[in-house]
Amino acid sequence: MSLFSDLYNTISKFFHSQDVQEDASKSVATNRLKLVLMQDRTNLTPRILEQMRSELIDLLSRYVELDKELLDLNFEQEGDQVALMLSIPVIRAKDEEEIDAAVKEHEEMLKIALSKKEDEENKQDEETKEEENQEGEVPPDSETSDITENTESAETTEEKTEEEKAEAEKTDAIAKELCDIPKIIKKKEKKEISAPEEITNANNNPFKSDPSDVESII
Amino acid sequence: MTGRVIVITSGKGGVGKTTTSANIGTALAKSGFKVVLIDTDLGLRNLDLLLGLENRIVYTIVDVIEERCKLKQALVKDKKNPNLQLLAAAQTRDKTAVNAEQLKEICDILKEENDFVLVDCPAGIEQGFQNAVAGASEAIVVTTPEMSAIRDADRIIGLLATKEEITSVKLLLNRVRPNLIKSNEMMSVDDVVGILEIPLVGIIPEDTGIITSTNKGEPIVNDENALAGKAYRNVAERILGEEVPFLDLDEPKGFMAKIKNAIAKLKVKV
Repeated sequence: MSLFSDLYNTISKFFHSQDVQEDASKSVATNRLKLVLMQDRTNLTPRILEQMRSELIDLLSRYVELDKELLDLNFEQEGDQVALMLSIPVIRAKDEEEIDAAVKEHEEMLKIALSKKEDEENKQDEETKEEENQEGEVPPDSETSDITENTESAETTEEKTEEEKAEAEKTDAIAKELCDIPKIIKKKEKKEISAPEEITNANNNPFKSDPSDVESII
Repeated sequence: MTGRVIVITSGKGGVGKTTTSANIGTALAKSGFKVVLIDTDLGLRNLDLLLGLENRIVYTIVDVIEERCKLKQALVKDKKNPNLQLLAAAQTRDKTAVNAEQLKEICDILKEENDFVLVDCPAGIEQGFQNAVAGASEAIVVTTPEMSAIRDADRIIGLLATKEEITSVKLLLNRVRPNLIKSNEMMSVDDVVGILEIPLVGIIPEDTGIITSTNKGEPIVNDENALAGKAYRNVAERILGEEVPFLDLDEPKGFMAKIKNAIAKLKVKV
């Protein structure tokens, strides 16, 4: 009987050899197409999807212990509706204490992130303030040249911190913001204390301005 | 009388929009309906060739819009069937010679005196596409079972969904090769419909007869024996609201195919 089925298999392989080979080609096309259409339809790039995935892992692992490798984030379409399908293999649910601890830890991290950002900005503020004070001693004629100096020094401090983060793109945007800082301070020459507040307010939301920071900190 | 304005579009070029327009138009006219075909592919007109009317064109759609002639003067009657008329595109102008409102106006006038106005859309998603869809209330999206054509079709379907006037979007799958589908070298009809998720209006098999029919300037629906002709006639009937089963393209032909089929059946039994 086994001889019989062997013979049959050999024959059918002979006839179907092409089928086996080409099976890949069609399904490869279908899968590639599905992926590319998902991106076309949603305007989400693979990079953004990956970022979303890692942030979701961070969030969810505060509450449950999950298998990060098997977490599956995908789009499915039914009719006009596009649904984001998230499949998370849960290894075990955390108990209340663990969750509290994890949430606290997360909050601590946020605080650290916040204060780091504030420190950085305070440093810059102090530097600009110092220069502002110097400016007061200089005769008013050379004011314009001083402003450009201020701008340059502000840029260089910012560039140093940015180098650490290796985010060259954002340097320009922040540097532009900083260009405005000396002007703001100049307007409020006699209310110097309030000037830094205004600046920190404008910049102290690290999550809105730079989500990748949060990711790296977490 | 208010006829139906159907745009035949695809996104990608070369998938068979013009062939489809010519054949559906001819089939509908043969069934006794008054049909006008509009070629909106300004600068790259071909519908006249497929119908064998290239030598009869005096005025084009641009002449109508720029008021060098009346709309009726620009309509060219088909050689065989007076029910079928063509409004040709201008070959010497580009897509900017016409705008969407002007095309809509022409469609609105033509649908008053005809049962069907079929608009052959140019490839792409720019001005030409916007013009072609402006007057339509239905759309047929032509695609082939290839990745690039399907991706472009998906884009077109997305764009058509934003047009409020278009109430029906259907899929015509062209150049299907059953033997390639069988050997899993080509996406199947189900695969494509599953991805694009719009109702199917036709499956047209690859047919070498299309080449000879184009050579002769005679749509393949006129050939009673051609499989593609039969498939196009079925499309026309479905447009008319009849429920026609899709052609069984899987039927094996030839001696070797029959043997293969028999062995496959044997395998099921074993």
